[in-house]
Amino acid sequence: MSVAESQSRSTTLTPRISVLRQFLPLLVLAALALLSMLLAVAIGSVSIPIMEVLAVVQGEGTPLHQTLIFELRAPRALAAFAVGGLLAVAGALMQILLRNPLADPYVLGVSGGAAVGALMAMLAGLGAAVISGSAFAGALLSTFLVFGLAHGSGSWTASRLLLTGVVVASGWGALITLMLATGPADKLPGMLYWLMGDLTYARSPWPAVVALVLVCLLVVPLGRSLNVLARGPLQAAALGVSVKPLEWSIYVVASLLTAMAVTTAGSIGFVGLVVPHMLRLLLGNDQRLILPACALGGGILLTLADTLARILIAPEQLPVGVITALLGVPTFLYLLYRSR
Amino acid sequence: MTHLRQAAGNGACLNRALILSLLCLFAAVVQAEERCVTDDANRRVCLDKPAQRIIPLSPGATELVYSAGAGDRVIAGVSYSDYPPEAKELPSVGSHTRLDMEKLLSLRPDLLIVWATGNPREQTDRLEELGLTLYFTEATNFEQIASNIERLSELSGTQGEGHGEAQRFREGIDTLRRQYRDADTVPVFYQVWDEPLMTINREHFIHEVITLCRGDNVFADLSRRVPRIGKESVLEADPEAIVAGGMGEENRDWLEDWKAFSNLTAVKRDNLFFVPPSLIQRPTTRLLKGARALCQHLETARERR
Repeated sequence: MSVAESQSRSTTLTPRISVLRQFLPLLVLAALALLSMLLAVAIGSVSIPIMEVLAVVQGEGTPLHQTLIFELRAPRALAAFAVGGLLAVAGALMQILLRNPLADPYVLGVSGGAAVGALMAMLAGLGAAVISGSAFAGALLSTFLVFGLAHGSGSWTASRLLLTGVVVASGWGALITLMLATGPADKLPGMLYWLMGDLTYARSPWPAVVALVLVCLLVVPLGRSLNVLARGPLQAAALGVSVKPLEWSIYVVASLLTAMAVTTAGSIGFVGLVVPHMLRLLLGNDQRLILPACALGGGILLTLADTLARILIAPEQLPVGVITALLGVPTFLYLLYRSR
Repeated sequence: MTHLRQAAGNGACLNRALILSLLCLFAAVVQAEERCVTDDANRRVCLDKPAQRIIPLSPGATELVYSAGAGDRVIAGVSYSDYPPEAKELPSVGSHTRLDMEKLLSLRPDLLIVWATGNPREQTDRLEELGLTLYFTEATNFEQIASNIERLSELSGTQGEGHGEAQRFREGIDTLRRQYRDADTVPVFYQVWDEPLMTINREHFIHEVITLCRGDNVFADLSRRVPRIGKESVLEADPEAIVAGGMGEENRDWLEDWKAFSNLTAVKRDNLFFVPPSLIQRPTTRLLKGARALCQHLETARERR
């Protein structure tokens, strides 16, 4: 075998191996995602034997078990997965946009606007569909408000956007506190559960699922530009990325994702902040890999957390936000400690 | 061709089966007298046979169902469904603010008693979509307590007991009303909670109890049903009697705290009265006992003038 021959073989082999190596984490995450969904469907406060679960999935089994699995568990598991994925992707995008490790999907006030909308609908005694609609409207309002104000007359920067968003978020926070303080006592538990984030509010998982799939298809091709942007706007501009349009589209996309997530399940904390960091610690900072990994990782975390929330102190139900933090904090601290 | 003929034959069979089953259905409808009532959310609730498996979704609703004489059909409760004592033994389907939907469905109830303003709407909507029969209660006065017991007994086929119990409750209230009709009014502050300090306005059923005993609720005109107030407003209103429940059935700590304000008329005359919260804070037939206790206390206050 000549040297030239072996060289050419190795050049044809290396890319294939590196592509495989790059996608291996995604394959592992996809497998874990499937596993977490199975777990969420198989486990609940009513115990259904695993054989019976398989029978039900094939269209057999008792009507009760069919209702439990198809009407309660499966839609809720799908909603949990989609919401977790949306929040993690939105968080990752916000962290790139603001170049701030503390950024999460809620930092610019989207969830505050949604919460004010949802709580107003609850105070008016309206039904679940109106609460969702009102939350979405609140989220959009907040997005446009921050967009408009940060755009302003002068020049704008990421830090200007961050400041505008944080202040608008504080304003929403004050309104929320006002509504909680003056609202009637019988509405308080529902309002608090919404603020803590709870998948009982998930009516149909499909809008969130569709949004998650769409955003994955949308942002993955942008991965290279995002990688450059993460290093700083000047470098990105020097390398031929049109920075401002890209930044504003990140802002709009991340806000829409967050709006979709909070509309489905209230403001679930922690997923959007910590999942992107965890995955960066594990997989490095290549956005082409991190963004789809976030969609899967966030989904896995929230699906598992919601399963635990349903069964830990059954028949009492915990809000899922409690569990995401309880699961996420030690995992994250461990990864951070190990990475030193 | 054979396929066609077969299909036609099947069609005829199907037709005959359809007519037969329609006839059966008609007979069944005629036989089983459908029972219908209107609930507190103004919905028509119908059952084609008396309820056999009832789940009340609040502690108060549990008491109402037992009062209606249908206690033996209650198959589960929620957290704090603790009265009558046998209700404590029931399996639980979660708390009234968050229901365990799986547990609830797996018990196959044929009637759910929903607390209209206490149970989460998104969950009760879902239960209705899943085909369960829901009856909404919202007892905010004496008459609604009685009429809920009557309507629940009609759905359970226990009218005899239910109507009797409702009647006894109404008569008990009427007796108190007659007894104190001409008594002098006593300005009363009713304390629901201490941190934050909370009371009730005229829309609350405790206000109705106070009025029944010829008390004058000093915070009747506030806009919220269970308003949060400051100590200053109590000092300004200077009630002649302070009535409180407290955490636990025998805890008088909240009343002791008022003794620091020696200028209050209620403190000067030692009119600090305890009524067990379970007797006055739930809209059930036990409210009659609570009302008797409160009327007695206000009578004591009159004697101390």
